Amino acid sequence: MSSSDSVGVVENQGAMTVITRILLVDDHPIVREGLRTVLQRRAGWEVVGEASNGVEALEQVERLQPDVMVLDITMPRLNGLEVCRLARQKTPATEILFVTQHDSPQMMKEALNAGAKGYVVKSNAARDLVHAIEAVSQHRTFTAMTRAETSSSDSTVRRS
Amino acid sequence: MKTRILLADDHEIVRRGLSALLQRHEGWEICGEAIDGREAVDKAKQMKPDVVIIDIGMPNLNGLDATRRILQQDPNARVIVLTVTDADQVIREALDAGARGFVLKSDAARDLVSAIEALQGKRMFFTPRVNELLLAGFLEKGQIMSRNQPPMLPTLTAREREITQLLAEGRSSKEAASLLNLSTKTVETHRSNIMRKLSLHSIRDLVVYAIKNKIIQIDMPPESSELAAAVPAQRTDSPV
Repeated sequence: MSSSDSVGVVENQGAMTVITRILLVDDHPIVREGLRTVLQRRAGWEVVGEASNGVEALEQVERLQPDVMVLDITMPRLNGLEVCRLARQKTPATEILFVTQHDSPQMMKEALNAGAKGYVVKSNAARDLVHAIEAVSQHRTFTAMTRAETSSSDSTVRRS
Repeated sequence: MKTRILLADDHEIVRRGLSALLQRHEGWEICGEAIDGREAVDKAKQMKPDVVIIDIGMPNLNGLDATRRILQQDPNARVIVLTVTDADQVIREALDAGARGFVLKSDAARDLVSAIEALQGKRMFFTPRVNELLLAGFLEKGQIMSRNQPPMLPTLTAREREITQLLAEGRSSKEAASLLNLSTKTVETHRSNIMRKLSLHSIRDLVVYAIKNKIIQIDMPPESSELAAAVPAQRTDSPV
């Protein structure tokens, strides 16, 4: 697991650049690797840590205090919904974006009720992840599904 | 000469992860990617890769049936199956389909390089669970491999399995016919034969059969969630 300590803002030729610090949580290393390849495209985004289960995610989120936690739902030890609820209590400044295989409006509702700011279906993650992190890092809600009919006054809503 | 690899997985994020992992290896190149089993079969035929890495749970044509087809086209093709489970039944099907490598998706970052190296050396690569099952089968002279386990799809032809998958995924006979370049009437005839052979009476029965026999896979919600009933049954993508 890679990690770096919190800085948040760095100097860039005299100008201040805000760094968005991101924690990746998924039990499959190959998925984390894929998520990284998408995120690396963006200057100003830094993956500060990775976790492979819910317990590790909670430890990391408390220690690293990232701006955004990208979180899977189905994971060993502690599932993502429980992690989300607990993380919202421990580190309320960290916004949570679910990236999950569950293409279900009920699951999305459950995730938002647990305190998540965003919900992206894994099959569309390569397309939606960048937009989703842009939104949730600015504390805006982002939901994107392939099946669900969704509506929300402050949401960016996309369907395929 | 570089080892050419074809990647087949319906999740782009997984393909990107696999691609990043494999491209670090000098002498290997990703010659193509496929988003479902049908495309994997077509691209394997066009590109003749040295190794095909194929996910089991894919829409339109699952990875096991795609593996069978790829090996029908080219019996020397080397296929590594990626799977979320090494349950006995899945192992049997993968071996029966002709896969020479069997890697758990959760361990892909660790095992895939070894699996490709094994296939390059004309060897096979299996998880410890597969080796255990094969050894048990050998020691008991094949009894373990067949005990209480009738063939998973005892009576369906390859075409009938394809149609079963498409119908179980929610497609109409007309849509299935269009995908398979068949007439709707032909698909209807296959459909009737499938229902008769399997003694099924409704599309719901067919979906249950397809799930039980791993023709399609479903997403499982987290155990502590109360949403078990809310997850759609017709999902075909692998729970990664």
